[in-house]
Amino acid sequence: MMNETQINARNTHAKKWSPVIGLRIRDLCVLRGMRLVINGLSHQQQPGDIYCLTGPNGAGKSTLLRTIANRLPVARGQISCAVPVVYIGHDDGLSGSISGRQNLTGWAKINGFAYQAAAIDQALDSFATNRFADISIQRLSRGQRRRLALARLKLAPANSLWLLDEPNASLDQATNALLDAAVIAHADSGGMVLAATHFDFAIAASPQIITLPERPE
Amino acid sequence: MTPFFAQIERDLMIAWQNRQDFGVMLIFFVIIIVLFPLAIGSNTAILDPLTVPFIWIAALLSILAGFERLFAQDVRDGWLDQVSLSQLGLGWYALAKAISHWLSTALPLLIMTPLMAVMLNIPSSQFSTLLVALLVGSMGLTLLGVIGAALAEGARRGAALMALLILPLAVPILIFGTLASQSEMGIINPHLMLLCAVFVVLLAIAPLVAASALETGEIESGL
Repeated sequence: MMNETQINARNTHAKKWSPVIGLRIRDLCVLRGMRLVINGLSHQQQPGDIYCLTGPNGAGKSTLLRTIANRLPVARGQISCAVPVVYIGHDDGLSGSISGRQNLTGWAKINGFAYQAAAIDQALDSFATNRFADISIQRLSRGQRRRLALARLKLAPANSLWLLDEPNASLDQATNALLDAAVIAHADSGGMVLAATHFDFAIAASPQIITLPERPE
Repeated sequence: MTPFFAQIERDLMIAWQNRQDFGVMLIFFVIIIVLFPLAIGSNTAILDPLTVPFIWIAALLSILAGFERLFAQDVRDGWLDQVSLSQLGLGWYALAKAISHWLSTALPLLIMTPLMAVMLNIPSSQFSTLLVALLVGSMGLTLLGVIGAALAEGARRGAALMALLILPLAVPILIFGTLASQSEMGIINPHLMLLCAVFVVLLAIAPLVAASALETGEIESGL
């Protein structure tokens, strides 16, 4: 069963706001160039919530995720998030010249997460990437890179907010199941997930859906 | 400090994997130096006073030539997104980039310099003065290059734009550097002190300028 919430009109924030323990977006507007891409979006998410962000191409899903990740400026409105944010965007954030293991270790170090070999191994295991974790990234396929990028999620603290931009776009069926399992386990342990996707995502946990409206050109 | 050194470690690993790029830069440095005497001729009365400037110009051109791609790969890979969300912060990231870039490009060039100095018949008593001035100068040029690369990142004609932005700013380093290298007052001379002053000012502002350029540059690129 899916719980559909249309969040597009500016007057939907009549509901009561609780203090920030998760993610709270209030009346958000984002400009790209001269165009208003997100117009008056409000959204609230508590620990344990999984949300799916849907909508046609160009509706502003990636823009919203990048804005929450603090990579795009907010034109109006407010975003408050009290927990660490992990962002897996369109780009995997892996350097092609070094191996997946080296990429993951460096990432854990610059974030101040556990970077010991055991922690890295466990993260690599969770997306079944051990077989190709020591080969340089430029020799891996699109889906293999995606799996290494997603393995980062397992290094982040339990309460973090995962922002996933089309996480399952190039994954095979088996890895998709691993991703769903990881997402559901994260939500069960008090984490939050906000994923932009066009495909089925963590169906077993019946995620809530946010549909962004098509943007008038 | 772990995030800072982790970034340097990562860049050095990537640099080692792409070491042929730096080999090309080193050969570029040698070729520029060799071309000057070929063009001027074998008259030592003309050549001798020009040898130190040759080395400086070659160093300046080859150090700045390696900068156009400094941030481009990280932006394309999405690593910059990860950095800006991390504990590291863009300022420290830019400084880490400068250090790893200096280690992987300018340091080999400095190691090569005594060989070039022998080839150009520079008196060996002048080697240490030249090397110390080049050491400070190359660090200053690296910081300038970081500013330029960050400002030009995302621009369509990034490389040409960077040369226009940075070469005029490199003039003080070139002037104090050549004077310090040829000074009769030994290694620590007033020109070297001025060169150090330029370096220290750049050290203070370069990470901040680069960080704000990388932050705003992000607004215009990608969807």
